[in-house]
Amino acid sequence: MPDRLTAALRGNLDMAGLGALLVVLLAVYSHYDSQVFTPASITILSAQFLPLILAAMGQSTVMLAGGIDLSLGAVLSLAMAVFAVRAEDGVLVAAGLALAAAAATGAANGVLVAYAGLPPIIVTLAASFLWGGVTLVVLPQPGGSVPSGLVKAYNNGWNGLALPFVAIALVLLLWKLVRTTRFGLSLYAVGGNEHGAYASGIGTRKVKISAYALAGVFIGLAGIGLAIQTGSGDATIGTPYTLNSIAASVLAGVSFFGGVGQMRATVLAALLIGLLTNLLLFTGLSPFYQLIMQGAVLIVAIAVKTLATRERTQ
Amino acid sequence: MIGRFTRAAVAVTALGTLAATAACGVDSGDGGSSASAGKSKALKVGWSTIYLTPSWMQQTDKMLKDDVAQLKKDGKVADYQVFNANGDTSQQIAQIRAMIQQKYDVILVDAGSSTALNPALEQAANAGITVANFDSLVTSDKVVRVGTDQKEWGRMMGRWLGEKLGGKGKIIAFNGPAGVAVSEERWQGAQEGLKQYPGVKVVSNVHSEYNLAPAAQAFASAYSANPDIDGVFSQGGALSAAALQTLVKQKKKLVPITGENYNGFLKLWKDNQAAGFSSLSTAQPNYLGVIALRAAVAKAGGATVPNQIMVPLPKITNENLDQYVQADQPDDSYPIQALPQSEIDKLIGK
Repeated sequence: MPDRLTAALRGNLDMAGLGALLVVLLAVYSHYDSQVFTPASITILSAQFLPLILAAMGQSTVMLAGGIDLSLGAVLSLAMAVFAVRAEDGVLVAAGLALAAAAATGAANGVLVAYAGLPPIIVTLAASFLWGGVTLVVLPQPGGSVPSGLVKAYNNGWNGLALPFVAIALVLLLWKLVRTTRFGLSLYAVGGNEHGAYASGIGTRKVKISAYALAGVFIGLAGIGLAIQTGSGDATIGTPYTLNSIAASVLAGVSFFGGVGQMRATVLAALLIGLLTNLLLFTGLSPFYQLIMQGAVLIVAIAVKTLATRERTQ
Repeated sequence: MIGRFTRAAVAVTALGTLAATAACGVDSGDGGSSASAGKSKALKVGWSTIYLTPSWMQQTDKMLKDDVAQLKKDGKVADYQVFNANGDTSQQIAQIRAMIQQKYDVILVDAGSSTALNPALEQAANAGITVANFDSLVTSDKVVRVGTDQKEWGRMMGRWLGEKLGGKGKIIAFNGPAGVAVSEERWQGAQEGLKQYPGVKVVSNVHSEYNLAPAAQAFASAYSANPDIDGVFSQGGALSAAALQTLVKQKKKLVPITGENYNGFLKLWKDNQAAGFSSLSTAQPNYLGVIALRAAVAKAGGATVPNQIMVPLPKITNENLDQYVQADQPDDSYPIQALPQSEIDKLIGK
């Protein structure tokens, strides 16, 4: 019982910390933008934050399994390009193709990590070049097109409904479901202690491959979101998402060593990073100071993370 | 347990610091807006740029600031703010949306993607904001676009090289990063220009960042595989400098290399002019930003401004090289002669 209490408190402390930050940020934010809590603003902001939130969820999934995905940005661009190129022939088919492509790249990463035993950082770095090249073959120049009705509905709301917000809620719900399955439980077990998990009869390789593939689905959704937001595809646009997604995951308290972290914290952290960069735009700080502020926040996050992991491994 | 607590505490402290900083910003922001409320017609201008650190952007930034100072003196501009997306196009979209929310009158944009900013920029235009895009252009026709014809850039270079080689020979094509619109367009133009000279063969097509160090490496490996080339189609300044530097260092035949007004290249060109090196160079003039600013200010003031302003490409040849090269300036600068105000007025249709 005390263990459970401690565990609950631990989780809540993480969430409470992030939640408190969010409240502070939103309070300051509403000073600059008094309409932040109106449906129109929520639609615009959620449209803007959706790709990062989904990308961070993908990155967190891989990190929970004890890996890291440096090919995230490239795969995000790939999904975006596939979707933008095919969207005119039917949005659903295009989305299916984009998701399949992203999940397949994830599974490929997973196979190399699980069966060849290669370090995730090397596999996914190599994959980032590979898929970056493939994306350029699919879409050599920025272009493609997404039906303008969809772009408008996504960015400005559909019958007063913030579609990106709904999408995030649905994806979180999906994660909740996954979390209760055997795979969901195994994911944390494999990430936390691979040998222990193997000894207790978990197919660790399958779990890893599934984790990378599931991350691919999240990344694919992020790419589709970005394509709908921008109404087009661009092979070079995804790159910053690799590091930003890692930053969000780290800020959320997802461990580099696997097995520790909560998805809702990741969503909150991605939201915080998005709001923070927006807020810095409002402050009128010189652009270089904005970069310094962003960097400082990340360093603090990583320092805090290191403190926490040091305690864990002692 | 203590670790978790520390983490939460540190995170809260960090964010608290940020919030405090931001709060200070709020005060100064309020002060600024009340000050600008006094002058009724002066405009609030913002520039969102995909990069601010490269020297070309620094020069553009300086030119824009100088022109803004002039416009402020004339009472036409009240407030000017620069936003740097640092290579992140999504961040640039956020910047444009922030400017819409903060009710800017004029948005200048140097775009990170030719398509991805369209919805945000069109939203700004629909909100009554004057949007002027320069240098790296978007495909939307709802904004004022000020640029040079990148295809013509390549075509001009391709033609010159074909003619220079007498319609026969092997060349290396030295292009910018794959997938970047400007790079693709210049190369398309070059291929069109070279079409008239079927005897000119492209033996290698190299891509590199527009940066001296990676460009030098990329060119050196392509050159070692093809040491018998007769010319180089290069589409940018640092690339051309890297190519010429390689030939000079290895004491090889100085074949013609097309270039740009990158001072490092111009200096090398001048040093080796006597040894028979020649080039045709052009420029992406820094004053594109100033033209965009002037056009936007005119349009916001009710004047009619053409939606597409094509600025002619300058030509730097053996004859006028001395007017451009600046021996006392760093390599990483882009010497350009300022465009007279009368020329700017003509371009924006005054």
